[in-house]
Amino acid sequence: MQNFLQILVSGISVGMIYGVIAFGYQLTFATSKTLNFGQGEALTLGALVGFSVVTALIGMGASPLLAYLLSLPLVLAFGLAQGSAVEWLGVRQAMKTKSEAGWIMSTIALGIIFKNMAENIWGKDPLKFPSPLPENPISLGGVNIRPMEIAIVLGALAMMLAVELFNRRSIYGKAVVATSNDRDAAGLMGINTSLVITFSYALSSLSAALAGVLVAPVTLTGAQMGAALGLKAFAVAIIGGLSSGLGVVVGGLILGITESLTGFYVDTGYKDVPGLILLLLVLSFKPAGLFGKTAIKKV
Amino acid sequence: MLKIEKLVAGYGKVQVLHEITIEVPKGKLVTLIGSNGAGKTTTLRAISGMIEPSSGSITLNGTSIAGLPSHEITRLGLAHSPEGRRVFPTLSVTDNLLLGAFPRLTGKRPKGEVEKDMQRMFELFPRLQERREQLAGTLSGGEQQMLAMARALMLNPEVLLLDEPSMGLAPKLVEEVFATIARLKQASITMLLVEQFAAAALDVADFGYVLENGRLAGSGPAAQLKNDPAVRAAYLGAAH
Repeated sequence: MQNFLQILVSGISVGMIYGVIAFGYQLTFATSKTLNFGQGEALTLGALVGFSVVTALIGMGASPLLAYLLSLPLVLAFGLAQGSAVEWLGVRQAMKTKSEAGWIMSTIALGIIFKNMAENIWGKDPLKFPSPLPENPISLGGVNIRPMEIAIVLGALAMMLAVELFNRRSIYGKAVVATSNDRDAAGLMGINTSLVITFSYALSSLSAALAGVLVAPVTLTGAQMGAALGLKAFAVAIIGGLSSGLGVVVGGLILGITESLTGFYVDTGYKDVPGLILLLLVLSFKPAGLFGKTAIKKV
Repeated sequence: MLKIEKLVAGYGKVQVLHEITIEVPKGKLVTLIGSNGAGKTTTLRAISGMIEPSSGSITLNGTSIAGLPSHEITRLGLAHSPEGRRVFPTLSVTDNLLLGAFPRLTGKRPKGEVEKDMQRMFELFPRLQERREQLAGTLSGGEQQMLAMARALMLNPEVLLLDEPSMGLAPKLVEEVFATIARLKQASITMLLVEQFAAAALDVADFGYVLENGRLAGSGPAAQLKNDPAVRAAYLGAAH
């Protein structure tokens, strides 16, 4: 039982990371029906930019926690800029020419370019991200929890909650929802819908960058870190449904927990299998995702 | 006010409109009638920037708007209540109305005015007030039509384009829609109305234009068009 709870805890924190990245997929899918397949690399860059800023600040005498907190606004701003660049360079043209698959190729290509850039700037070897919180676990009822794992869960929830509040409360957020509902009609309201789509890409990369700095202290930081995470988060987005905010959290938790459980009770080598089987099952029986609204296409 | 001259537009390589010229004077209600596929909706879509005209000029208060993206045209004061209503289904009635005033809310005008206008819309369409917190997607067809019109009016537009406001509605609701249009006319709102119910449209309008296969087939004061034998035969049916 103790083991089970312990595994549950680590599954939850990994799952929340998947959830935040998948949330980023949803943001762009809602407004433009396109996705950034370089989302994993957006995470990598966020983590590496964070690494450089944090080590520089520590070098100037800041405590790891202070350095981490000070780096956050920079990392998030970097994410916004990186996402806007992806939309500008890779998606806008493809959408203008109504190309069905152009954005897939161009976002993958941009992802590869970003990964190469990361390898050249930060090297190929994994780096140790200075942990802002004590690395020794605290014991809660016999279960050991690392403080950073709690920070991951809280950070991920705060991010999603902030976007949800923005969408519901502010007129600009409502404009984003309107664009997701009906792009032409939103244009008739005076909403610049191409700007809304750029913004959703910016926000999507921002969530990936945040996921990057959240996960970096508990894993190895490097140019390779994002690829697997981005792909798994894609599975989460499919499992949870691309149209349901709640879906990605639950989908992320399902994947994170099944991975940890399989890794412990079966074999670490098989830990990716149940998630992928789940993905196949969802695609066969509930293609809109466990929580997605089934789209009925009017003919 | 709104002037369209020699407008040519279409979809891809298919040309739908052939040199259409229409004028909508300030405070007047102009209607565009014609059979299905004549190009009525295409005309409105070209005016509001939903499609790009291939040639011709469109001016709003002397400013050329042809070829501008629709959000910029809206910001210049042209509201378009599109065919099929196109309300935002996952947003509440109130939020739909607020978005109608998006250029005002994000511009310099005080927010208080928008609140006051929303109250006016609720007076004009009491059903919307009853359903203000409901999601627009759950409204009936008639209610959605009222919402679409109210949402367009929230812009405080210089010109209002209305595309088939009676489409798919029960006869009683059609009457209600036309009564509303008559009230808007009394309030001196400049309107361009596209309608399949030609007789009802000509009854309420000041001027009318007849569109046939993408070309203008006639125009004149509404009362005169109504008595024109050719128009009567083609669009008003034998019963009139």
